[in-house]
Amino acid sequence: MAAEHAIPTHAEPLFSIGPLAVTNSMVVTWVVTLAIVLVVQAGTRRIKLVPSGVQNVLEFVVESLYEMLEGIIGPHFVRRTLPFLATVFVFILACNWTGLIPGFGTIGWGGPTEHGFHVNTPLLRPTNADVNMTMAMAITFTVLWMGWYVQAQGFGGAIKHLFAPKGGMHGAILFVLVPIFIFVGLLELVSIFFVRPLGLTVRLFGNIYAGDSLLEAMGGVLHFPFNVLTLLPFYFMELLVGIVQALVFMLLCAAFTTAAIMHEEEGH
Amino acid sequence: MIPIILAAAETHPPGFFEQFGVDWPHFLAQLVTFLIVLWVLKRYAYKPLLDMLEERKRRIAESMAQAEQIKQELAKAQEAREKILGDANKQAQQLIDEARAAAARQGDQRLQQAIAQAEQLIAKAREATDLDRQRMMAELKREIGRLVIDTTAKVTGKVLTPQDQQRLAEETTKQLAA
Repeated sequence: MAAEHAIPTHAEPLFSIGPLAVTNSMVVTWVVTLAIVLVVQAGTRRIKLVPSGVQNVLEFVVESLYEMLEGIIGPHFVRRTLPFLATVFVFILACNWTGLIPGFGTIGWGGPTEHGFHVNTPLLRPTNADVNMTMAMAITFTVLWMGWYVQAQGFGGAIKHLFAPKGGMHGAILFVLVPIFIFVGLLELVSIFFVRPLGLTVRLFGNIYAGDSLLEAMGGVLHFPFNVLTLLPFYFMELLVGIVQALVFMLLCAAFTTAAIMHEEEGH
Repeated sequence: MIPIILAAAETHPPGFFEQFGVDWPHFLAQLVTFLIVLWVLKRYAYKPLLDMLEERKRRIAESMAQAEQIKQELAKAQEAREKILGDANKQAQQLIDEARAAAARQGDQRLQQAIAQAEQLIAKAREATDLDRQRMMAELKREIGRLVIDTTAKVTGKVLTPQDQQRLAEETTKQLAA
């Protein structure tokens, strides 16, 4: 019975544009993208030295993120990494909070069941409840991270940073430890190219999908209007989860970047 | 429970990508959308806003430096003003003292002149009085002499000769002068 009402783990196709089946999460992604573009255009079309209105809000967001990331990454690299890290935060937050608008998961195509009408193909699905989206961001980060790593360490420096023995050892012990450090470097590579992106992908997807499922379940506990009582606390919790997950994704990326750009003498 | 597990084992279990609907077209579509957001924010939000924040920071620092400079210049101007005022006061005091001294000198001169003039006037008046007195005395003497002569002539009953008249007049004058 629970499986009948569960939200599918994948986005549902709604219509096709040529060979591409447009899914419900893609529609939401485009709407959020359009909203972000419009807000940015409204705030920066006539940028003024004395800010007002939307420019004020955008400045507050950008300056707050800049200061937070500067504290983690340092003043030299922040300007280079800010566009991706701040975009990840803003985009994830916008998508997460948009996904809480009533109608997500409840408006769409469905049919009658023994427990009443059930939506099988919702029109709107939270963007981050689609692994394609969370994976796209995680892989973008991994690619950019490699660029920053090589920029900060140099190609040879990056290889050395990964595989060379650390701790300033000399003599025979160095030869003993070299295979271990090479093995550790290989593990690090697995972490960089598999574990980290997978972790970022699944953590965000899992939280948002779980939140969506929770709201769906809580909405079905009682009939309207009494289900408002069961939904309301979870809506507030999901608001919190939305910003926390955006922060977690951004801060994890920032922490991975800091570890990569830090030189050995600074790091140890 | 067991039949369910067996049924699941019999059917081919979906892989991770299949289970979560991950495929190249959808992945690329979401990736492109995310990259568009990234480009839009980088080009139209972060760059202009960070440049503007930088510009504002620079202007504030500049304004503060200017304010500091103005403050210093103001302090210097105040100092110069006080010096000029002090000098002016000193000069004014000097001028006042000089003027007072000059006035005092001039006053003295005027006083002396006035005194001199007054003394001159007094002397002239005295001279005029003396002259008047002398003239009056001469007239008086003449009148008295004439009266004496007339009286003498009436008393003696004789006509006095010019010599007698001369003598009587001289005697009268002599006695009056005594």
